[in-house]
Amino acid sequence: MSEAVLKIENLSKSYTLGKRSVQALSGVNLKVNKGEFVAIMGPSGSGKTTLLNVLGCLDKPTSGRILLDEVDVAKLPETELYKIRRNKIGFVFQTFNLLPYLNAIENVELPMECTKKSKSERRRRASKLLEMVGLSGREGHRPQRLSAGEQQRVAIARALANDPAILLADEPTGNLDTKNKQELVKLLASLNLNQGTTIIIVTHDGQVASHTERMLLLKDGKIIKEKQGLHLAKKKLMCPHCGSRIQVSDTSCPSCKKRL
Amino acid sequence: MAIMISIPAGITANQASTQNLTQNLSNTITQTEASINQTLTQITCSLSSGFEGFGFNPGNFTPGQFGGGGNFNLGQFGGGGNVPGEFGGGAFSGGGTSAMNETLYSDISSIENVAAVVPSLQASEGTNQTVEMFGRSFTRLVPDYVIEGIPLNSSLVDNYPILPTNITDGRNLQGGDSGVVLLSENNSKFFDAGVGDTITILGKTFEVVGVHGSSGVSDRTTLYMNLSDAQVLTNNTGYITSLEVFASSSSVVTEVANAVSSLHPELSVVTAQQRLEQLQAMQTSYNTALQNAESTLNQTQTTAFEEIVVAVAATSLIVLFVMLYTVRERTKEIGTLKAIGFSNWTVMSQFMLEGVLLSLVAGVVGIAIASVAAPTLSSLLLPSVNPFGGSVRLGANAGASNPSAATIAINPQLMLLAFGAAALLGALGSLYPAWRASRTRPAEAMRYE
Repeated sequence: MSEAVLKIENLSKSYTLGKRSVQALSGVNLKVNKGEFVAIMGPSGSGKTTLLNVLGCLDKPTSGRILLDEVDVAKLPETELYKIRRNKIGFVFQTFNLLPYLNAIENVELPMECTKKSKSERRRRASKLLEMVGLSGREGHRPQRLSAGEQQRVAIARALANDPAILLADEPTGNLDTKNKQELVKLLASLNLNQGTTIIIVTHDGQVASHTERMLLLKDGKIIKEKQGLHLAKKKLMCPHCGSRIQVSDTSCPSCKKRL
Repeated sequence: MAIMISIPAGITANQASTQNLTQNLSNTITQTEASINQTLTQITCSLSSGFEGFGFNPGNFTPGQFGGGGNFNLGQFGGGGNVPGEFGGGAFSGGGTSAMNETLYSDISSIENVAAVVPSLQASEGTNQTVEMFGRSFTRLVPDYVIEGIPLNSSLVDNYPILPTNITDGRNLQGGDSGVVLLSENNSKFFDAGVGDTITILGKTFEVVGVHGSSGVSDRTTLYMNLSDAQVLTNNTGYITSLEVFASSSSVVTEVANAVSSLHPELSVVTAQQRLEQLQAMQTSYNTALQNAESTLNQTQTTAFEEIVVAVAATSLIVLFVMLYTVRERTKEIGTLKAIGFSNWTVMSQFMLEGVLLSLVAGVVGIAIASVAAPTLSSLLLPSVNPFGGSVRLGANAGASNPSAATIAINPQLMLLAFGAAALLGALGSLYPAWRASRTRPAEAMRYE
């Protein structure tokens, strides 16, 4: 059994909206193993983003435990939380959130700014990460000179800068066209497959979700359904339709010709 | 920022000018005091001008007095011995001094407590001018220069203030000098002669040994020479126009003056007392002027302080609002920074730094503006120091009462100070916005568009 990198126990989150109290999450239990690729799905207002924010230490839960590498981050004060965010979590946003006045490589270097890494070390790692997300040669471009897909890839490189235990992506394909969407999903899948990065994405796009290993359906702040995704099959290198052997790069099964 | 720099510059200029003024006033007072001390023992004796002294009144027609009157026109009318014996002029001499026979007054030196008697002969040289007055025409002398003959005797010139003290060129007259003159600066121009030159006075040549500036004891148009030279030159051998009697101490001045008066009732005896009173009045007015200057400066400083407080408050508020706006505008960026692991402290210091940098840029711009507009700004914003209320001017010192544009200069210290103030205000103004930025909860910040 693989070790659990993230374990959520009975997590609840409520906040007041005007005079109304909104129960965004109620008693969520979840275990994510190291190297897993998980999608959280659900209609608007089901609590997807709230869950991701709480997992990413951007928000505090009302009750429950979040064990990240066996540390209960729900109990940590802000003076400790930023270290968790810096070192354990990589966050990817729907709107990319790159700093407009920094170029691609500087944006990637940003999370390493407060670490002990030397300037040259940071530069080297950032350039390696940009190469990994397929942006070699675009290091000096500012966000406004990059396409949406490229911007999101810079954001992913930035999220991976401090080699986090878990990569959280909130609707990472939400602002991308179909082609870029597929590219990005492929990128995330290959990161998971080749680098072993643990990834949790929030999406309402079924197609995107289907490329993950595990799909969780969230409704009214509760996980109501769990489903296997295509990604798992790729990991096991076995066609889910006919059971024959497949390659990671295959988009359709070489035997039964069905789409993977 | 420009205001913040200009005002201290203006104050500095005002302070400098007030200091200058204070310096001048205290110099004047010191001079005055010295002058007072010097002349305390001095009694000026001369024949009263006008009717009594000159025998117009037959009852007073005594030989002694008449002797003096014989050459009375010497000092006042048309130079030495123009029309000897002409009586009429004396009547119109109006407060002037007239010639007296030297030998008649030798008894003064034997009066008790008289330390010295210095006879002198004064003669004006110039051109006659006719003026209409009270329906009559009078002839009046417009002097070009005044000859003052002083006995150049070491024991007198060395111990008593009978010669000018401020020699601006060459040397002063000294005991035993003859055939030489000490010119005033005006004389020097009139004769177009300087030290070492030879000038001709009434047909006789004299060598110029020195030039004196005008002061309390000397006149601007007076040239000094040996008494005997002057007497010969003006054809007044044996005659003088006044006697300076020096009492042995200031406490006996009145007694000595009374003694002189009783011995020679025809003499007009003026003690230093009158002069003292004048000088004291002058001193009082200078003191008042000083106080005025001080109070004006205080007022200026109060105004400047108020203006600086307003400027500082305005600057801080501007920085505060700009930074609050910036923080609001960049909420999402702040959220992002926090989401990728920036600590509160890092975020706060980044925004503080931004505020400070912003203010420093403003500081540079302000200094640039101030270096051009400081004189205008400070004269617009500050009352100027003028202890004499505008119309009253203190001779050469008058220039010091208003700082001119040239005196308002921005010095490097002031610039550095302004720069420091800018940084401080930047930090102060951005403190709260930066703190707010650092407290932003990332999840909320992310929702913000």
